[in-house]
Amino acid sequence: MTELNAILRLARNDLSYFFRTKWLMAVLLSLNLSDMLVVALVYGKIMPSFNYFQFFVPAIIVMGMFAASLDTGRRIWLAIREGVIQYYLSLPISTPGIVVAYLLAGGTAALIYSTSLMLIALVVLPAAAIWNTIILLPFLFLLAMGLAGISAALASVASTHGEYFFAYQQIVQLLFLTLSTVYYPITYVQKYLPSFLTNVASANPLSLAAQAMRDYTFSGYPVQLYSLLNILLASLPFTIIGAAAYLSALRAIQTKGKI
Amino acid sequence: MLDVLRVVWFDLKHEVYPPVWIGLQWFSFSIQIFIYGAIISQLVNIQSIGNYQMFYAVGFMVMMTFDVGSHAGREFVEAAHEGRLPYLLSLPISRSKLFLSIALKGGLELALMLLVPFAIVLSLIGNLTIISILAAALALFFLGFGVAGLMLGLSFIAFKSSDLYVAITTGLSALIIRFSTVLYPLFYLAQAQPGYASVARFSPLTYGADLVHLCLGFNPSLFLNASVAIAVLTALAVSTLGLGIFLLGRLVEGVKSG
Repeated sequence: MTELNAILRLARNDLSYFFRTKWLMAVLLSLNLSDMLVVALVYGKIMPSFNYFQFFVPAIIVMGMFAASLDTGRRIWLAIREGVIQYYLSLPISTPGIVVAYLLAGGTAALIYSTSLMLIALVVLPAAAIWNTIILLPFLFLLAMGLAGISAALASVASTHGEYFFAYQQIVQLLFLTLSTVYYPITYVQKYLPSFLTNVASANPLSLAAQAMRDYTFSGYPVQLYSLLNILLASLPFTIIGAAAYLSALRAIQTKGKI
Repeated sequence: MLDVLRVVWFDLKHEVYPPVWIGLQWFSFSIQIFIYGAIISQLVNIQSIGNYQMFYAVGFMVMMTFDVGSHAGREFVEAAHEGRLPYLLSLPISRSKLFLSIALKGGLELALMLLVPFAIVLSLIGNLTIISILAAALALFFLGFGVAGLMLGLSFIAFKSSDLYVAITTGLSALIIRFSTVLYPLFYLAQAQPGYASVARFSPLTYGADLVHLCLGFNPSLFLNASVAIAVLTALAVSTLGLGIFLLGRLVEGVKSG
């Protein structure tokens, strides 16, 4: 069996675990759908001067992608805690191969999940240029891998502190979402936050992806290359950091038997 | 009483040493109020509320109460499955004392989690009387006990499948929060979809959020009748706590661990 085959098999195994976790599906779907069909709609009524529904629905797709990507970390953390990782390390697959498999599975799971959210979103908010989404998809996949990388790094760091992984994950999720333009336009962020934090919000990969969704899929503007490059550049460091952190954690397990 | 306090401390010390989860709750409350709440309030325009940030701060505190309450319920089920509850049941204390210790631990946990958020909310709103502060705190505790009891009431599912229990309770939690008046007054839920307001009337959080908002001096015309809200919260807390006593006395005996 070639290395590529082994990576794909391991990725498929992890991917199926994501979709078989009933409680996770229940949480993600109930959160994202209720945000889309209740919160976005009601906030639209209390914001008379702004079409919040149109603004927020594309962002919910990105939020769903983020949440699904972050679950990669939980699966890595579980594998380390329960010793499944020892079994993976005994398989005829290289250690970097395991890292790639997890990131691939994380990215794919997030992309599949967010695509299903997008299909639902298209029912309530008609898209002006659905074909633009197809151009966006590979970049969203890279973004999902980057977000999975963040989660992998957290799992690797937290594995020595047990349950704290969920605390780290919550902090990262909270900061990434609030310091972004997922919930509010950048003009309102500029009015309130200092310029340093406004820059962070603008460069946040979630802001970039949400804005791309709003502009290209739902408003129908022609896709701009710089926007896609921005998503790529914002995602790549997270993927690399995540992969490096997870790889070093696996190497530590290989040599010392623990992290 | 010493036995009860010992059991309370046995359960509570995991939360306090080190206080990661308590600190995390305070941190997320601060971020939610001083970043999200502050920015979103620039977009929201509800004349009878004025500053939406304050409305959101109170609503978020109610959400935290709900989270702590539902966590307490889920923790009870986990304890039953992981073998901690059978250990507690084997201790030389009566069932009623054990139940009292579980309820006390839940109340103390809620108080610790809400200490800083409640102080921030009070300082943001300002100009409140002792009576209104006590009434708001009491409403939050009743809601917390009611929600914990509700999750306990669903624990019979967990004795069949804990995975299904977690799926139902966490999924249900998201819906209970969204279909309530925690984030927006009932009037606007009805404006968005008339059916939403009807669903919200079945959510315990609607009554909890409206009552706490009322106690903290928000415009009464936006909320449900206070006496109805008090009656619903009291009924919820009393009935679900009664259910808890029943469960502890009968159902949990012999629950398999693992």
